[in-house]
This record gives sequence, C-alpha cells and structure tokens, in this order.
Amino acid sequence: MDISRRSVLRAGGALAVGAGLSGLAACSGSGSGSGGGAGAEGSATKGDITVWSWASPAAEMKALVPAFNAQYPDIKVTVQDIGNPAIWDKITTGLAAGGSGLADVMHIGIDYLPGYTEKFPNGLADLGRLGADTYKDAFAAGVWESAVGRNGKVSALPMEANSGGFYYRSDIFEQAGVDVKSIATWDDAIEAGKVVKAKTGKYLLGLDKPASIPDAANFFQMLLQLQGAFYFDLDGGITLDSAESVKAMTIIKQLNDAGLVADLSGGWNAQIAAIKAETCAVLPMPTWYGGIIEDTVPDQKGKWGVRLPPAVRRGGSTAATVNSTYLSIAGSSKQQAAAWKFVEFVLTRPENLVKIYKDKGIAPALMKAYDDPVFHTPSEFFGGQQKGEVFLDALKAPSPAVNYSSDYARALKVVTDAQTKVLLKGADPAEVLKQAADQLAQQTGRRVVR
Amino acid sequence: MSTATTQRPTGQQAAPRSGPPRLTGRRLAPYAFVLPAVALFAAFKLYPIGWSLVLSLYKSVDGTDTFVGGDNYTRLLHDPLFWTALKNTAVILVIQVPIMLALATALAVAFNSRLLRARSLFRLGFFLPMVTGLVAYGVIFSVLLNEKYGLVNWLLHFAGIGPVPWLTDPLWAKISLALALTWHYTGYNAVILLARLQSIPAELYDAAAVDGAGPWKAFRHVTLPGLRPALLLTTVLSTIGTLQIFDEPFILTHGGPDNATLTIGVYLYQNAFTYFDFGYASAIAYALAILIGILGLIQFKVLGDKS
Repeated sequence: MDISRRSVLRAGGALAVGAGLSGLAACSGSGSGSGGGAGAEGSATKGDITVWSWASPAAEMKALVPAFNAQYPDIKVTVQDIGNPAIWDKITTGLAAGGSGLADVMHIGIDYLPGYTEKFPNGLADLGRLGADTYKDAFAAGVWESAVGRNGKVSALPMEANSGGFYYRSDIFEQAGVDVKSIATWDDAIEAGKVVKAKTGKYLLGLDKPASIPDAANFFQMLLQLQGAFYFDLDGGITLDSAESVKAMTIIKQLNDAGLVADLSGGWNAQIAAIKAETCAVLPMPTWYGGIIEDTVPDQKGKWGVRLPPAVRRGGSTAATVNSTYLSIAGSSKQQAAAWKFVEFVLTRPENLVKIYKDKGIAPALMKAYDDPVFHTPSEFFGGQQKGEVFLDALKAPSPAVNYSSDYARALKVVTDAQTKVLLKGADPAEVLKQAADQLAQQTGRRVVR
Repeated sequence: MSTATTQRPTGQQAAPRSGPPRLTGRRLAPYAFVLPAVALFAAFKLYPIGWSLVLSLYKSVDGTDTFVGGDNYTRLLHDPLFWTALKNTAVILVIQVPIMLALATALAVAFNSRLLRARSLFRLGFFLPMVTGLVAYGVIFSVLLNEKYGLVNWLLHFAGIGPVPWLTDPLWAKISLALALTWHYTGYNAVILLARLQSIPAELYDAAAVDGAGPWKAFRHVTLPGLRPALLLTTVLSTIGTLQIFDEPFILTHGGPDNATLTIGVYLYQNAFTYFDFGYASAIAYALAILIGILGLIQFKVLGDKS
C-alpha cells in the first residue's frame, strides 16, 4: 500500500515536471523565434495564408478570395478583420516578438509603416525579391517611394491612395445662400461658415476636441499637407512649429473661436451620429470617406457634393495625398511566395480594385484602375458630380514626398495635445506648437528646424 | 497579521535525525510538486522581469539594440510627460484611495451589523463590481458618461442640471476616473475589512458598553484599532493598484484630454506599443517598481504594528 502510493506520487511528480519543462521549452522556443526575414518562401501555388486587415478592406479582400482560388485552388486564404486601431498593437507585439504570431499578409497604413520598418528592419519581407519591382511605375506618384525603406527594400505594395477631400451638404449651403465653388481658401471657408451658422444653425465642421481617439489631428495634418509641409522635413528634422504649422493651427483656432466647430468627442461613432443628425455642413475627409457617407445616410442621396479642399493660402495647392495604405508580408512567414500571389492578385489587377472602389469607395493606388468608367461617371449620391475625377485630379497633381519617420506616433501625440489645448483652453497656436516641437525633440533626440 | 497559534506537537513525533536528509523517494516528492509552478513562475514572471531590466539599459537605434547605460533613466527625470503622469497618479492616490477606504470601512461595519437584513445579498451586491471584467466596465462607464448620449447626463437633465463634460474636460475626466475606480474596488476592500471585523471579539464591545462607550466611541476605540492590520493591507494593495492603474484611463479617456488622465501605466504602454520604445518603457516600469517599493515601506512604517 505504502509502496504503491509512493510510486503513484513519483509518477505524478515526474508528469508535472515534464509538463513544466515542456512549458518552458515552448516559451523559449517562441522567444527566440526567427528574427524575421528568415522565413522560407514556401510554395507559390500551395499553402494556407492569413490576411490581417480591418472593416471595409477586410470585407472586400474576403470577397475576392473565390476569384483568387479560381486561379490558385490550393492556396487557402483566411482574411481576418482585426479592427483599426487594434491591428497596430497586434502587429507591433508580433514584430517585437520576432515575428511570431503575425499573419502572412498585413494591411498597414503609411503612418505606421516607417515605424515598423525602421524599428524592426527584418520584420517585413522584401517584396522586391518576390517580384514587386516590376510594378514600380504602376502606382500613383509618391506612394511607391514611401514604401521603400532607406535600405532600398520594398516593404509593402500600395493599396489605397487617398487625397484630402471636402464633402459638403449642398442643400445646407444653398439654404444659406453660399456658393461652395467660390470658397477658394480656408479664410473664405471661415467667412462662409459664419453665414451658414447664422442662416441654418449648422456648424461648418466637427472635430474631436478632447482627442478621445488618436486620429483627432487628421484635419490639422491635411491643412499642413495642403501647404506641402509635415511634422518632419525630409532629413528627419522637426518642423512642428514652422510657419505652415502655425497657419494650420491658427485656422483651427479661428474656426473654433467663431463657433463653427462641433465637438465630435467619441471619435468614429460621434462622427457617424453627427452625419445622421445633420450637425455639420462639411466633412473635410479623404477619398475613402465618400463610401462611408453613402453607406451611413443613403436617404441623403443628392444632398451631398464633393470637391477638393480650399487652399490654405490664395493660389496654393488643393491637392494632398493624406493617407495611403499598403499590403505587407511578414518576414517570419513561411508562405511568402503564396502570400505574394495574393497581394499581387489584389493590388495589381485593375478589376479587383475597381470592385473595391465600387463597393466601398476606397481609392486605388494602381493608376491603371482609373481607366474604368466608374471613375468617370456621375454619382447620383453626390448630386451628379464625377466624384472619381475630382480625386483623380488630386492624385495626378504634383505630390511632395512626406516623411512620416519612425517617430510619427510621438509627433501625432504632441500635436493632438497641442490642438486640444487650442480647442478647449483657447491656447495660442504658435506657443503650443513651439512647446510641442521642443517636447518631441526631448523625446526623440531629433533637432528642431527653426 | 493574525496571531493564530500553531499547535506544536507534544508527542514523540520529533524523533532524532541521523545524518543529512537524503533526496530520494518520498523526500523528492514535494520538490517535484513545486517544480512546475516554480518553472512557470521563472519562465513567465522572473524572466520577463529580469529581461526588462536589461532592456531598460538599451535603446533601439535603426532596429538594433544599443547599450546606453542609465540614459533612459536620466531621460525619465527630464521628461515632462512622465512627471505629468506621476502627478495625475498621485492625485488619484491621495484623493480617491482615502475616500474609497473610508467608504469601504463604513460598508464593512454595515455588513457586519445585525440590524441589516439580507446581509449576504448586500455583500454580494457590493462585491460584484470586482468580478466585472476591467474592459467591460470601462466600456460601460464610457457609455454611461458620454456627454451627449450617456445615461448619467440624461438623468441629470431631469434634475435640471446641464450636460456635464464627464470625459472631455480635464477636471471632470479625473473625477470620472475616480468614480469608476471607487465603484469597482470599494466592495472588494469592504470584504477584506469585514473579514477582519468579524475576528474582533464581541467581549471587547461588551466591555466598552459596560464602560459607558456609545457607538462612536466603540467604533473609535475598539473597531478602528482592531481593523488596523486589514486597513494596512487594503491601503498597501490600493496604493500598488492605483500606481499601476491602466485599464480605466486607457479605455475611458486614452489618458486625455491633454494628458489630464495620463497615468504611469498608460504612459508606459504608449512608449512600448505605440512608440516601439521598449527600452524607455522598461525604465518607466522600473521607476514605478521602485516607487511602489518606497511607498509600501513608508506605509508599513506608519501604519504597521509597532509591537
């Protein structure tokens, strides 16, 4: 009895030790997982690949899978809607863990791409090696350059190229007796906004004043890019308190002080609610947002119009590529060749991008897609305007290169805080931007260009 | 804490040992049982803790980790955002924790009272928030406190009170955070205090009553001294919890507006997962650990049982 009990205990102990050790081994195995870039290419015609994206683009890529499988029946594609901004944390964590747990294909915004490629040089596969170079001239100006790292590696293939837009409620402007076409600059827009507010009670536009979500500074950023400026210059110096920045923030302050800015705190949901409640006359949003408006308020068909935003200074540019997104392949993926086939299928075949545009209004970066009539036919929703051509004009306009740099997230944070100070406390734009630039320099070790 | 006495064997069990114990057979069994837990603890706790100390001495330059010594720590001292985070956390600590513990003490006394009917129902009710998932309750509070569509402002509207900018004004955001924390943790602390309360001998209250002490005097001279060890425990636990607070500000306000609710935990997260600055984030983590250690020591000195 005693002996048997002892042996049972011993056996149990050995089992437990085994379990503990195997847990440890599994842990160290994942900890020292391939540092990225070392993944085997795998077969180009066979395998299981996973794609990470969010909302509409995820749904659209999922819809393209049957067509893809008609050509590559042995590549099983799983598209996952990770959600935005959750996807960025997920990718960061995966890259920091040496690429373990990442999807094979990842949808990445230009705002995050330089951070990933600079902090994790081997985290994303070199698509040039897989054949991406042949498409170099196929995309809108500037977007290819942004994807190529300093080491000449092609980290991503462009998917969307969105230009800044000015979606407006033509009925509200009509009611106020303001001709939208006559608004040439943002100073004109402020004057027009005052008339709209007085005659209709509607705000000109809305901003997330307390910056309850990270992209509350999109409008500020668009005003900067319309002037060909950004948070950093091409050498990586901080230009946060440049004359252009101060001008952009001053416009925001003037709009706010004149009572023309609705508070859309709460981010996305607040904005959608505001569209339904007809709170604002204008949505200064990029190309892709047109699809969101159509989906959100189909009954407001014909009441909307679209044009490029007013210039910041008279005679200045009205075109700015404000955001673009890309598809990348994880350096740790064992199925890089198959993943590339999917990326190539989605991004270089005009018919697929045309379908995505038709369904969700997402503007393709592939210029050949714009040959399709859908970009040149009048849109009923937007009062018979040729919405596609409005944005195509912007895409064709000379677009200065934008250096998002690896410190974009920090820059965005200090800018958003500065904007909140201006909107909630009436702070002086030049002063808060100077503070922001100094703080960014302290955090990043970059110099401020003054 | 408690003075429970261990029954010492008085029999003949304490047989004299001959030579050092041999690690065989039966003697090995306890080690075998403990080993998996120790191995898992080492893999998932000790290793990350040690590795983050190493990380805090490095900085990532162009994707390669470069040794920078104490640079991350000196940078911390000159970082205004770190000080803002520290100040915000301190404000919550100094204002919210005492209010919460006073509330918890009052609740514990009420839970213990024989005058209260359905005591277990009340205990359950106040403890339940503790069981709620942090993210779930954060989301619920953000919906409740929404300035335009929230239930709270809707109810206030009937009382003739205008919309309160719960999450969008720097001061109100801090108050909202304190409210959420109090709702979540008061019941938990009350249960710890209640457990201690029940170990105070009834004779002490009888003696106090005989000496002519009213309820307030009995509370001051019997209940409070009796609660001292539990109060120390809840104070230390709440201090550690508050210094590490992350979920609530992250979900309710993202640390905003204008960093009004930025806590050390949120700042640490931002540096690691938004700015990919793992070295600096690790330095923040160690600064926080040192701070918690110091505050814990002070509390033990001030509140601890001197006897």
